[in-house]
Amino acid sequence: DLDKCTACGVCYEKFPGCVRFTPGLDHRAPTCMRYPRTTPRAFSIDMEKCADPAGLEACCPAGAIVLDDADQTRREACGAIVLAPGAALFDPSGMDNFGYVDQPDVVTSLEYERILSASGPTRGRLERPSDGRRPRKIAWIQCVGSRGLQKGAASYCSNVCCMFALKEAIITRERFGENVDATIFFMDIRTVGKGYERYQERAKNDLGVRFVRCRPHSVIRKNDEDTLSVSYAPYDGGELATEAYDMVVLSTGFKIAGDVREMAGIMGVELNEHHFARTENLNPAATNRPGIYVCGMFEGPKDIPETMTQASAAACMATAHLGSPGAVVRREEELPPERDVTGEAPRVGVFICDCGNNIGGVIDVDALTEWARSLPGVAAAEAVGHGCSGESLERIRRVVSEEGLNRVVIGGCSPRTHEIKFQDAIRKAGLNKYLLEMANIRDQAAWVHRDQPAMVAQKAEDLIRMAVSGVSSARPLVERALPMNKDVLVVGGGVSGMSAALCLAELGIHVYLAERSPELGGVAKNIRRTLEGADVGAFVRELIEKTEAHENIQVITGAIIVDHGGMPGMFRTGMQVGKQMFYRQIRHGAAVIASGALPHRPSEHLLGRHEAVMTQLDADAFIDDAPDTVKTWDNVVMIQCVGSRCPENPTCSRVCCQSAVKNALRIKKINPDARVFVLHRDVRTYGFQEDYYLRARELGVIFIRYEADDPPRVEAAEGQVDVTFRDPLLDREITVTADSLCLSAGFEVDDEDAEDLAMIFKLQRGEDGYFLEDHTKLRPVDLPIPGFFVAGSAHGPKLIRESVTQAQAVAARVQARLSKDEIQLDAAAARVDKEKCAACLVCVRACPFDVPFINADGYSEIDPARCHGCGVCAAECPAKAIQLTRFEDDRILAGLEGLFERMVA
Amino acid sequence: METFEPVIVAFCCHYCAYTAADMAGSERLAYPPNVKIVRVPCTGKVDAIHILKAFEKGADGVYVAGCLEGDCHFKNGASRAARRVAYVRKLLDEIGVGGERLEMVRMSAGMGDRFAETAKEITEKIRELGPGPVRMAALSEARKAA
Repeated sequence: DLDKCTACGVCYEKFPGCVRFTPGLDHRAPTCMRYPRTTPRAFSIDMEKCADPAGLEACCPAGAIVLDDADQTRREACGAIVLAPGAALFDPSGMDNFGYVDQPDVVTSLEYERILSASGPTRGRLERPSDGRRPRKIAWIQCVGSRGLQKGAASYCSNVCCMFALKEAIITRERFGENVDATIFFMDIRTVGKGYERYQERAKNDLGVRFVRCRPHSVIRKNDEDTLSVSYAPYDGGELATEAYDMVVLSTGFKIAGDVREMAGIMGVELNEHHFARTENLNPAATNRPGIYVCGMFEGPKDIPETMTQASAAACMATAHLGSPGAVVRREEELPPERDVTGEAPRVGVFICDCGNNIGGVIDVDALTEWARSLPGVAAAEAVGHGCSGESLERIRRVVSEEGLNRVVIGGCSPRTHEIKFQDAIRKAGLNKYLLEMANIRDQAAWVHRDQPAMVAQKAEDLIRMAVSGVSSARPLVERALPMNKDVLVVGGGVSGMSAALCLAELGIHVYLAERSPELGGVAKNIRRTLEGADVGAFVRELIEKTEAHENIQVITGAIIVDHGGMPGMFRTGMQVGKQMFYRQIRHGAAVIASGALPHRPSEHLLGRHEAVMTQLDADAFIDDAPDTVKTWDNVVMIQCVGSRCPENPTCSRVCCQSAVKNALRIKKINPDARVFVLHRDVRTYGFQEDYYLRARELGVIFIRYEADDPPRVEAAEGQVDVTFRDPLLDREITVTADSLCLSAGFEVDDEDAEDLAMIFKLQRGEDGYFLEDHTKLRPVDLPIPGFFVAGSAHGPKLIRESVTQAQAVAARVQARLSKDEIQLDAAAARVDKEKCAACLVCVRACPFDVPFINADGYSEIDPARCHGCGVCAAECPAKAIQLTRFEDDRILAGLEGLFERMVA
Repeated sequence: METFEPVIVAFCCHYCAYTAADMAGSERLAYPPNVKIVRVPCTGKVDAIHILKAFEKGADGVYVAGCLEGDCHFKNGASRAARRVAYVRKLLDEIGVGGERLEMVRMSAGMGDRFAETAKEITEKIRELGPGPVRMAALSEARKAA
């Protein structure tokens, strides 16, 4: 009975044989509570193994073990179904060449993850499963069970393994430093996600992770040896090599489990040839059955940000079936009344997270807790493990009530991301949520001072002391509520903008769609077909028609955003519209940035100066428009990564490898005799795109690698171009006289436009120039400013289908936000002490938003509902008559006092 | 005498420098632990009194880290902060603390590396300047008492 189980572990202690709890490596045993933070948090029991059922039932102190709890059949009526069953891991047992079954030191990447984890079987110590010795050399082998044709492997690319291998190698090098060598054996490194290319560069250049391009053929342990021998044939045709490693990690891919396929069968959901859900090419959440949607791995291998995005997208699609928005019932939790703490002496509770090894691996959390208990004003101090986990939050709530605490300090991560969780916890304990302070000992100590163990503990103490001292001066605050404007402004009329606008309009929300150019369509208007063959032209035309015809959408073309103001929930954005540039202001409660990116047109390789040279985007249309010319081509050369993955633009443009494969296949279809050369650095046909890469190779398209420091050279040869490159297999230079040269030029940020939007809306851009989301994994389509969201290539290079998914996700997020009638504003606001105010007008002049005015009584008045909470007036006020709540002078000064107490002592 | 470890207070704007510090964290960019961050909603909120108090309590250096020109979430808070910092530097010169111990720096939220670099540079600079006069006085008093 899940409601009763408290995961106390008594049953596990008494009946270890039949209770399934294996927090570790033994994936071959039935493992249901695989790690300590499972949800629901309960043990599961394998009755077949239990010899004494009555004893088992009796041992549970909560009475949660129900012996006759057999399967039941229930019927539920619903308006829509979202399938999110996920994928299973590929089991490498069948690949005897890697020795997974009989070599304990050959582990899967998930098992290695458990070894690194503080809650894992080794408590985060790096030990070999065979003898507990610290390994000195570790090898990662990529594409185990993916991109293969033998021994049960799948032919597709599992998409995320390159990143998790990189992550594991980086963590290993960071944590165990010079003592552990990390080598990754790979075929292509596919770091196509946002910022991933930079991550890879860092692994290579800063952390000394070694990359070997090849697929090892065997891992064996010779009888007399302690180490594993990894044998491989180097990519560039060198001698067969064998290297010794202490541990080998297999980067296993994903597949769809049998029970999921069965479920799909029952639902009548079609699967593709790889047994993943078959979805519409340009609407990836929709299955063949109306009303049934999919998200996550079941739709195709994907990483966490993409999974989160698709989950929101599926929610958006499903909501459309649920009738009026009123059908969605919002459950409000009953909260206890707030306790009045005025006049009480501070009783501070300090709760310190270990954040797994993030903090726990660097700082002695128990010692820090012990120390914190001795601070003045501290009534309780506890180490809480992962403080943000459900049970720790509950623990915090309980301690706050039981100990009668009136202030709380969390020693953990950043208030930017997690404050709200802890605020909720103390609010549930009856404390005003502003009686909380977070000491960011993770981001500001553990993560950045790990190289100075002596100082890191002291810094953590300093931060906690500052927080305790500061929070002691904290006052309870009341939040202000404002009416929410229910309209939405979408900036950008490409596929992402239109898709988001249409989804919102279908949900009954009024949308203003502002497009800078005179017409809708964006970059996709120039694309004819997707890799999978969908007709992009027809798709875009239909989108435009629907968008223009929808009664809830007002399209404003030729609109240049010029100013922006107001508050979250009641924004005002001004734009100049049309040739006459007349000014128009729109009021809206949320905004979607879908301003896209530009197709890159670098001047390299004679682009723009020779008729035979074009970009993949040009080629896309050319192949459609001039098949007769394509028929005359003997040689076609494509160069990848032109203007991407280079010092000027380190980002991988994500879409170019599949564009090259797509265009190569289309050329081959029209002219099977044409020789097509694709010069690449890695072929990044992630996910099911791999199928098309394989097909291209079967049809004779030649893929040749070049090194970044030795790029192909292009010279004009009358109507043709000579392309010279080094073939690594032949180890010699080759010149191909090409009838056509297609450059995979990818995307570039429209710097001027993005900068304008960033300035006007106060949005943040990452180092790559794309808009920075609030949280990569947890809030991938939210921007850091409440009420702002991002979709499409404005967030990073993307395929059309990925942009559509993101647009749908944004629609779901916007709808959730606008479903409330009021918006709660942050309690930071300026307050005037009228006794001190001399009506000098300094605040009136200083306020960036013209809020303060001198009222009839002769002192400055600041409307808290209109105050943005910046505190400029408070700093400027010569009489110190203004205080910014939450950041009062005495609270800031108390924090400083706390910091310097150590030095006074 | 043991090596001098300066204490440096960094008033960081929530929208840029504080976020940049988080970025430095998630990118694991090491910087000296001497820098302690005080989060403010906008650097425009940093009052002369906060800076002076920090020095009075014993800070060896202070810097105010706000948004890039034109990026300020509150229009012009960071520019006001820059003017105020220039003013407080003069005050510090006059009272003998030395204006060079106070700085205004600007960065955007994405600049984790810039945050770490700035922290390094300022720590090195203050290390070269030596302990602040308030710290010096406390130290010599402690020595006298001993």
